[in-house]
Amino acid sequence: MENTMGIITANYSALNPGDLTKARPLASLPFAGRFRMIDFPLSNMSNAGIRTVGLIMPSNYRSLIDHVGSGKPWMLDRKGGGLFVLPGSAFGTSRTGSRFLVRDLEQNRIILQRAKEDYVIVSGANFVFNMDLGLLEKAFEESGCDVMVLTADAYDDNPDVVSFALEGDNVRAIHHGVSYGQAAFMDCFMIRRELLLKMLDWYAQVDYLDLFEAMEGDFSRLDVRVYRYGDYCAPIFGTKGYYRHNMELLNTDVADQLFPDDRRILTKPHDNPPACYRRGARVRNAIVSGGCQIYGNVSGSILGRDVVVEPGATISNSIILQGCVIETGARVENAVIDRGNVISAGTELRGSAEDVLVLPKP
Amino acid sequence: MSKRECVAMLLAGGQGSRLGALTQQIAKPAVSFGGKYRIIDFALSNCANSGIDTVGVLTQYRPYLLHSYIGSGSAWNLDSLDGAVSILPPYATQTGGAWYEGTADAVYQNIGYIEEMDPKYVLILSGDQLYRMDYHEMLETHKRHDADLTVSVMPVAWEEASRFGIITKDDDDRITKFTEKPSKPDSNLASMGIYIFNADLLVETLREDANDKNSDHDFGKDIIPGLLAAGKRLYCHEFNGFWRDVGTISSYHETSMELLGDNPAFDLFDDSEGRIMSNPSTRPPHYIGPNGSVVDSLVCNGSTVLGTVRHSIISTDAYVGARATVEDSVLLPGACVKEGAHVARAILGEGAVVEEGVNVGSVDMTKDTAVIGNGVVVGKGE
Repeated sequence: MENTMGIITANYSALNPGDLTKARPLASLPFAGRFRMIDFPLSNMSNAGIRTVGLIMPSNYRSLIDHVGSGKPWMLDRKGGGLFVLPGSAFGTSRTGSRFLVRDLEQNRIILQRAKEDYVIVSGANFVFNMDLGLLEKAFEESGCDVMVLTADAYDDNPDVVSFALEGDNVRAIHHGVSYGQAAFMDCFMIRRELLLKMLDWYAQVDYLDLFEAMEGDFSRLDVRVYRYGDYCAPIFGTKGYYRHNMELLNTDVADQLFPDDRRILTKPHDNPPACYRRGARVRNAIVSGGCQIYGNVSGSILGRDVVVEPGATISNSIILQGCVIETGARVENAVIDRGNVISAGTELRGSAEDVLVLPKP
Repeated sequence: MSKRECVAMLLAGGQGSRLGALTQQIAKPAVSFGGKYRIIDFALSNCANSGIDTVGVLTQYRPYLLHSYIGSGSAWNLDSLDGAVSILPPYATQTGGAWYEGTADAVYQNIGYIEEMDPKYVLILSGDQLYRMDYHEMLETHKRHDADLTVSVMPVAWEEASRFGIITKDDDDRITKFTEKPSKPDSNLASMGIYIFNADLLVETLREDANDKNSDHDFGKDIIPGLLAAGKRLYCHEFNGFWRDVGTISSYHETSMELLGDNPAFDLFDDSEGRIMSNPSTRPPHYIGPNGSVVDSLVCNGSTVLGTVRHSIISTDAYVGARATVEDSVLLPGACVKEGAHVARAILGEGAVVEEGVNVGSVDMTKDTAVIGNGVVVGKGE
C-alpha cells in the first residue's frame, strides 16, 4: 500500500474515564499483557505496507511517546516518510466524542499537503482488531466512493461508540452511541488525500466538531460507504470493556484471530527474560508476559510484564499490569491492578464479575 | 573508556560439531539458549555492559541466521556512532582467499580491521560461552600489570583440570606456565579462552605465526605458549562467577537446567551485573491452558502449554499439547509436542515436532540426553 498514508488520532478520551484512563491516554492503555492499544492501528497500517503515519498526540502524551519512539518496531523509522508525531489541540482530551477533531487535522494539514500518497487511512486507537487493510483499499478503489468507513455489527450497547444510519451501504447519519445490531463505526476510514484537504477547508468554521459531525449536512452529496468488517474487533473505552475483552483472549479461538502467525501485532520490545515458574507455582488458564516470576496461584487471568506472584498469593479472574508484586498470601479476584502496585501480604482485593475492582497506579 | 581503547574480536565461526543435530543448519553461537536467547547474546551483552562498543564478529560456518540475528548490533545497544558490530567472514583479496584455519588465523586474516579501528588493546572472545563478566575490570588488571597479554582464568575442580588449558602463575599473578590439557596438572586455574592483548604485539605475533608452517594457528596451542617462551609479560585475571562452555549436548542440557530452580546457578533475572540482551521477535504473551501445569520452568512469549511442564525450558512459539508432558527438557523455538506425547531429558530443535502419543527421551540419568534436530518430525515407531 505504498500509495496510502496513515493518520492515527489519540487526542480524545472516553465518556466516563475510569481509573485506568485518568492517568494515561486511551491509546497507551496496556492490552493483552504486553501490548498497548496504539499497537493495533500501528500494526495494521505497518502490516499493510504503510510507511508514512502521522500520530496526533494527546496533551498527556508521556507514556505514548515513550512507547512509539521513532516508530522502529512498526518499520516507521524511514528515510522518507516514517512516523510523524503531531501536536493535538489542548481541546482534544476534554471533548469525548471527537475521534477526528477537525481542528487537529487542520492544524496538521501540512503533513497531508506534503505527502505523496493519494490515499489516507485515518484511524482512532481504541478498537482492537487485526485486519489486512489492503482489503479496505481494494474495496475503496473499486467502489469509487468518497469516504469508506470501517464498521462492525454491534454486539452490545455502547455509549462511547459511534454508529451510522445506513441506506444500503451508504451512510445517511451518525449517532453517538450504538445499540445491539447497529453498524458500529470502528473509528477507521479511508479517503482520498485531496478530498480530505478540501474537507478541512469546507469545515474550517466548525473546527471544534468531529469530522463526521461536520460532514453530517453533506451525507446527501458525499458518497460515504461502509466496509463491513466481519472478524474479531473490540472497542475499549472503559473498565468494563477493557476487562471483558482482555478476558476474551483466554479463549484461544479469539486469541488466534487477533494474533495470527502471518499478521503480527508489533510492539515496542522490552527484551525481558522469559517468564519463570518456580516450584509450587499453580497456573491455569492464563496469559503471562515476559519477565514474570510466579511462585503462587494464577487462574483465569492476564499478567503484564515483570509481575511477581509470591508463594501462597492467589490471583483469579484478574488483569495485573506491568511490574506489580502480589505478596505472600494476598488474594486478588475480579480486579484490574494497574502497573506498579504492590499488594501487601495477606491483603484481599475482591471485585465481582459485574463490578470489577480497579486499583489505580500508586 | 576512551573511544576504541579496546576492540573485541568475537570468534563465532566454529561449527560446534559436538552439538550434533543442533548445529547442522546453524552456527553454534546462533543456537537458541535459555528460551529466548541465542548463545552469542551473552558475549555481545557482556561487551555492551562493559562499555566495549566496537566488536568484530568472525563468522564462517553456516552464517545466515547468525548474520541476520546480529544485524546492526542495535539489539545490544552496539550501534553507536563511534562503535559498531562488524561481521567479519573470510574474504578474498587480489592474491586469492582462504578459510579461517584456527582461531589465531581468523584474527590474523582480519588484521586490516584491527589496524583500521586502531585500538590500544584487543579483547579476544568466544561466541559460545555463557557467563556475565565485566571486561573493563579485566582491562584494568591488564593495565595495572603493564602486561603484554592477560588471560582470564577460573579455578576448576582438580579432577577436571586435565580437560582445560591450565595456567600456572606466580605470587604476582604472572603466568609461568601454560599447559594444554595436562595429565598431571600443577594448578587448577583454567584458561577461559578470553584474552586481552596489546594490539601492536598481537598484530606482530599473528604475522609471525602466519609464516610458521608448523603452527596450528591456535591461540591456546601456539600463540600463548610462544609469547610465554619469548619472555613476554603474561598475566592472569581471575574470574569467580558462573562460566560454562556449552560445547556438547550434555553440557548444553546441564547448563540449561542450571537456569532453573529457586536459586539458579545462572539467574537470568539478576541484572545487577548488567542484563542479558537479545534480538527477540515480537510475539504475544504465552498461554497456559485450563488443564495446563507449569512448575520450575522458563516459558517464553508466543508459546502455548495445554499439558504438563516440569523443570524445563519452553522457548518462543513452542507448543505443548493437552495431556502431553515435558520434563527436564528444552524445547527450542517453535518446537511442538503434540497431544499425549511425553518428552523427558530431551532437547527438541527449532521447529521439531513430536507427534501425538509419542515418547521421546527417558528420565533415566544413565542414558544420553535425547536430541531431535531442527525441523525433524518424530512420529510413531521412530
